[in-house]
Amino acid sequence: MPRRPKPTQTNIKQKIKLQVMDIQNTQSQMRKGVLEFCILSIIQQGEVYPSDIVERMKAANLHILEGTLYPLLTRLKNAGLLTYRWVESNSGPPRKYFLMTDKGHEFYTELEKTWKELADAVHALTQPAENTNSNLNQ
Amino acid sequence: MKKVININFHGRVVPIEETAYDMLKQYVESLRRFFAKEEGRDEIINDIEDRIAELFSETLKKGSTCITDDDVNTIITSMGRPEEFEAEEASVKSQLSGEGAHTSDAGYQSAATDTSRGRLYRDEADKMLGGVCGGIANYLRIDSSLVRILFAIITFGGFGAGFLLYILLWIILPSRALERNVIRKRLFRNPEDKVIGGVASGLAAYFNIAVWIPRLIFAFPLVIGILTSIMRNAFWHFDPFPSVVFGSFGGTLFIVYVVLWAVIPEARSASEKLEMKGEKVDLNTIKNTIQEDLSGFKTRAEKWGKDVGAKAGQWGKEVGETVSQQGSRMSAEFAAAGKKSGRTVFSILGVLVKAFLLVIAGVIAFVLLMTIVFGSIKGFDFIPLKDYVLEGDVQNSLVWPTIILFILLPVIGLIVWIVRRLMKVRSGKHHLGWIFGGLWVVGLICAITLGVSIGNNFQRRVSEKYPINLVQPSTQTLIVKLGDVKGKYYPYRIFDDSHNDDIFMMTEAEDSMLLKDVSVLVARSDDSAYHAYMIKISRGSSLADAKIKMEKISLEVTQADSVLTIQKGFSISKDTKFRDQKVAVIIEVPVGRKIKMDESIEWFNGFYLDYDRGRYSELAAYDKSTHPSWHMTSNKDYVMTSSGLERAEKDKEETEQGEGVDVPGTKSKEELRKEIDEQQKELDKKKKQLEQSDSTYKYKPSTVRDDANDDAGNDATTVQQPQAQKNTKPAQHLIIGDIMMMRFGS
Repeated sequence: MPRRPKPTQTNIKQKIKLQVMDIQNTQSQMRKGVLEFCILSIIQQGEVYPSDIVERMKAANLHILEGTLYPLLTRLKNAGLLTYRWVESNSGPPRKYFLMTDKGHEFYTELEKTWKELADAVHALTQPAENTNSNLNQ
Repeated sequence: MKKVININFHGRVVPIEETAYDMLKQYVESLRRFFAKEEGRDEIINDIEDRIAELFSETLKKGSTCITDDDVNTIITSMGRPEEFEAEEASVKSQLSGEGAHTSDAGYQSAATDTSRGRLYRDEADKMLGGVCGGIANYLRIDSSLVRILFAIITFGGFGAGFLLYILLWIILPSRALERNVIRKRLFRNPEDKVIGGVASGLAAYFNIAVWIPRLIFAFPLVIGILTSIMRNAFWHFDPFPSVVFGSFGGTLFIVYVVLWAVIPEARSASEKLEMKGEKVDLNTIKNTIQEDLSGFKTRAEKWGKDVGAKAGQWGKEVGETVSQQGSRMSAEFAAAGKKSGRTVFSILGVLVKAFLLVIAGVIAFVLLMTIVFGSIKGFDFIPLKDYVLEGDVQNSLVWPTIILFILLPVIGLIVWIVRRLMKVRSGKHHLGWIFGGLWVVGLICAITLGVSIGNNFQRRVSEKYPINLVQPSTQTLIVKLGDVKGKYYPYRIFDDSHNDDIFMMTEAEDSMLLKDVSVLVARSDDSAYHAYMIKISRGSSLADAKIKMEKISLEVTQADSVLTIQKGFSISKDTKFRDQKVAVIIEVPVGRKIKMDESIEWFNGFYLDYDRGRYSELAAYDKSTHPSWHMTSNKDYVMTSSGLERAEKDKEETEQGEGVDVPGTKSKEELRKEIDEQQKELDKKKKQLEQSDSTYKYKPSTVRDDANDDAGNDATTVQQPQAQKNTKPAQHLIIGDIMMMRFGS
């Protein structure tokens, strides 16, 4: 039976860790938010297999671990947004190529809209002087 | 050099190092646990494994022969560890809470945000019996092995108090799967590098010292203890180490080793092995960490005290319900632990037996080694003797190769082997072994040749009897005693103690040796005079050679009236060589005379005369005539009788009664002869009488009628006409009848 782990004894080391973790936590939250969207946008552009996705994200400077990716893909597939097909490769085991379903495409369009709104909002908030100026100007 | 196994990984056969496989297996396990609650768990894992398989085949294609630890590490790093996975927050929490505590990295990010006080639990994950020590170790942030060792010491030293304490804690504390909160190098036993149980190598890995150091520490006092006890028994004066220090010390360390073996776990999984060798830890860092732990210990101990108090109060309330619960739980746990410790007990026994046998084997080998070493050192004492035994160039030239190759070589070989074993030096080639073996065989051949050659020198035996001039003593008793020799001879002591008599003596210049293989025998003389002979016996390579050696024996025998002095040994020179020379001095005593051996005669090494096979032919003649004289007691008078040598004072009573009696109980030859003569005379007389009476009867019939009345006349006429009567036998009857008739008639 799994139990919730009781918190461990605190000491200085952990206090520091906590402070560090506060920020890491937020950062992680931010990433998690966009992760799904990024992956879907890659797949939306064409069928692709998982390590390809990792490569592309690395190229875009958004690193992801394969261990994070696979469960995500599986979840998306279970949700019906993705599907896959097996492609035999002459070197190595057969690979799963993921492609988007229609449902996935709809989902993606929605997300894209949301992202655009979000991006604008953040952009606006992070540059207050310019924004206010621009707002004022408008 | 690592073991490589083949695994069937997603339809492909992948050669992979065993340790790498362990790591991989563990990683997949951790993934499985992590995704336990996930819906598509199997699929996710399958995908990940597929990816790993792909990476494997890429690696192998690049040219590696097998997947190594590094490859697996790289793959795991790139795939990511479960705690690094980003997923939805809720699922993360649930996943992390479901996972056990077996990863070896730092704690969990989300779960560690709470700052409440820690509590003492029994550690479900780190348990040998009930996890008590593991829990305490976790609480106090020290290595659980140390806690166990502490418990063991308390148990042994406090007559089982530690055991009771343990049971108490087992009952009180609840168990929990505790995380490992401090990653530090842990003390393990190293199963890969073990002589008995891997304790020494585990310790060496932990303290980062060479393996042979702890081995030597364990073995050294034990060996020294055995060595000193051997020394003390073999060489009486050689006692360098006090037994108090080393006698019990070795035994104690042995027990310490067994305790450590039982307590320290074996590093089985790859992570444990890595942990064992892990970061470089030297004594400084250990010191620092211990100090840190100790400083926090006090505060934690106080808290623990409060915890225990609170818990005890609580427990008092819950006694009714919990006892039955815990009872059943405990019995289950006991059973499990019992099974486990049953196996453990057997394996402990196995280890003990193995250790014991190994110690015995080591001791035997060591003793042999010491014997050979000390023997060869002492053997140098024998070198001067070599010249007395060896003859000829062949033998002399064979001696040194024999000694070096046959005797010293095994010693050297054994020393080298031991040193190499200790240093764990391994060489692929066995050249050294072959060289040693070959040289030893050569030495063996030399030894055999030498042995045969020396044996040849002793194969023939010659003996000869020489008369000794003896003047008859004026008294009744001849006394035999020991006399000195010319020249200074010193005793040749081989061992530095007085238990060994001087086997032989040598001159200072070592050019001449004195042997005392002399036997003094007493036999009965055939006549009435004392005689003495000397029989010299020697061996040689041929009869002529033996004869030469024999003639060189010279044993001086001198006489001063009634005292016969025999030199206390005969000398042989280096040229003559030792060839088992012996001398027998025979003294013949006439019947009725006495002889006495002075106690100095006991100095001689009398040799046993092998009568049965007639080996000493010269002496065989003395066999039948006398009792063996080595039954003689010194300083006592013996007298020779016709039946052998007897103690003169044996019949004390008779001598007291009849002092005038010359020789009580015995008869001399003359007397016997006299008796014989007398008896002979009597016989003759009786013979004559017979003859006379015969002729008287024969005469009778011729004179019967004439002298019928006259009896007396018979005698007178017996002489006459004896011949006529011989023919007529029937006349005799008539004679008797006539006589009777005559008598009656008259």
